[in-house]
Amino acid sequence: MPSSVCIRSISHLVRDRAAHTSIASRCLFAAPQSAGFSTSAARYALPSKKKTGTVAAPKRGVKSLNVKKGRKGVQVDTAKRPAQGERRALRKRIVLSNNNALEVPYLTDLEKTSALSKKNQGQVKGLPEEVVDSLRAVEAFKPTQGWSLFRRPATLIRKETVQLAALLKVAEGHVNSTEQAVEGREDGEAVDGAKEVAEVTAEEAVAVAVAEEGPKKTIRRVIVGEKMSGKSSLLLQGLALAFVRGWVVINLPDAQDIVNAHTAYAPLPESEPTQYTQDIYTANLLSQILKANKGFFSNTTPITTQPELGVPLPANTTLEQLVNIGINNPDISWPVFVALWAELTLPGRPPIMLGIDGLSHIMRNSEYFSADVKPIHAHDLTLIRHFIDHLSGKSSLPNGGMVLAAISKSNSPTSAALDFSISVAEARQARSGNLPTWNLYTKVDQRVMDVLKDIEVIKVGGLSKAEARALIEYYAASGMLRAKVDEPFVTEKWSLAGMGNVGELERATVRLRV
Amino acid sequence: MVFIFGFSFAETSLVKRSLETIYGIGPKVSQRVMARYHIYPWAKVGELKNSTVLDLTAELTSMKIENDLRREVQDNIRRLRDMGTYRGRRHAMGLPVRGQRTRTQISTARRLNKIERGGTGRIQM
Repeated sequence: MPSSVCIRSISHLVRDRAAHTSIASRCLFAAPQSAGFSTSAARYALPSKKKTGTVAAPKRGVKSLNVKKGRKGVQVDTAKRPAQGERRALRKRIVLSNNNALEVPYLTDLEKTSALSKKNQGQVKGLPEEVVDSLRAVEAFKPTQGWSLFRRPATLIRKETVQLAALLKVAEGHVNSTEQAVEGREDGEAVDGAKEVAEVTAEEAVAVAVAEEGPKKTIRRVIVGEKMSGKSSLLLQGLALAFVRGWVVINLPDAQDIVNAHTAYAPLPESEPTQYTQDIYTANLLSQILKANKGFFSNTTPITTQPELGVPLPANTTLEQLVNIGINNPDISWPVFVALWAELTLPGRPPIMLGIDGLSHIMRNSEYFSADVKPIHAHDLTLIRHFIDHLSGKSSLPNGGMVLAAISKSNSPTSAALDFSISVAEARQARSGNLPTWNLYTKVDQRVMDVLKDIEVIKVGGLSKAEARALIEYYAASGMLRAKVDEPFVTEKWSLAGMGNVGELERATVRLRV
Repeated sequence: MVFIFGFSFAETSLVKRSLETIYGIGPKVSQRVMARYHIYPWAKVGELKNSTVLDLTAELTSMKIENDLRREVQDNIRRLRDMGTYRGRRHAMGLPVRGQRTRTQISTARRLNKIERGGTGRIQM
């Protein structure tokens, strides 16, 4: 007979406590929330959370597929941003020494007495330290050049450099340079394909003959040549020779910087047609001039002219003080430059070297606008005008000197007039009868044509094999080239470099090492 | 901060960009204004001389920009609507005005073709 206890246990098994409230408190079981046969608890429970993700189908034309990676977990870039001007500084950085390169035992420096000698041809010459400082000050070194490969800056005195040196002698008015020029002529004839040089030097012999009457001459040259043939380097060599010889050097390192409208400009009062000064640039140029020509400015020459600058000048103002006034007050930097130029051209002052790189930038309209929104021609900027007047021969340098302009082949806007003038000058120097004629369907920039009417050029070609050998030997002595330098090796590299293109030669020997 | 035409600009901002924030001044007008006062294209606001800033403000005051220009544009649209022209109605409806199709791609019209075109501006009209 079943006991009553059993029946009670069955009643305990009934899970619906709501139905048996009386025994619910005594229940020992862990009570589940819902009963098998009741729905009330589930009904009273809190409504379950709405399921996410089940939204309506996207509308037509709405993009719903997103396969881009990392949209959600996008990492915040916490890297340090470069400071203002840092990247530019890195880009423009000039490294002039390499501690890993060997000291070249036979390397001698350019010296004042022998710098212009013809005997230097085919030798690598070191640049003296103060010249390096000066060249750095005038920004003659370019970041693309291979100065950072060697122990200290040195340069190959090539055929064109000797030609340039002879011209420097002519400018200085040395009488004995006649012999040099004639010598050069004989040598020039001896070398195959160097007819041009012979012509140029012969011409210089005539120039010297003139120079004997009025000793100081103004030499004007445009350096032309193929890409990487060393045009800027030749300009640098010209500046270096001028520094060694104690000239005053004024260099416009990059013509592009003057005309690309990145520096302030202002109309020059009382100029007709309106000229434009660039005060900040001019002040910077003045500081470069001061830094580069320390030797000249240190001998405290009091100024002799009375420039009208609008600021009172103390008595016995020296040239250095004058320049400093221009540096500190950019507003009057142009009048200061004019005053400085007047001082530099007084009798008894050293010859002047004027240099510019990237000539084609200044042979067209600049990026500046005049007050009536017409582009300003580069020749209407005072600094450019000053340079161009000397390049065209409109003004001369009374103490002698040289105006040297290098073109660029990699960064040069097209200037039909410049290209034409250069081809005419080349034909003229080659004494070829048929000068090129202007293509009438090309738009002419008459101002440029007038300026470059009787320009003369120095054509920078490839190195001769002897020069290439001297250079490669220097590379080997610096430890940057590990190979036996013999005739076949030099010939191979010379040919690889497109018949001695110096930039390509550097590339083939020390830059691309396989 | 430099005040040009009543608006303040950070000293490091370009003059060109600062001018072009003004309603009615775009690339051409800013070029013209800057050329007039010999301000080079990359000049920063902080570099300007006080006299130049005053000149600029005076020049901008004489021009029809900001609220004057907004009012003119809005008046033109309102006139079209009040006359009951098709163009006025299309403006009022925010639909393309010049015969474009409306099946797709009319977001530009939705954005721009309003009676209150150009908004209320930085200074309330």
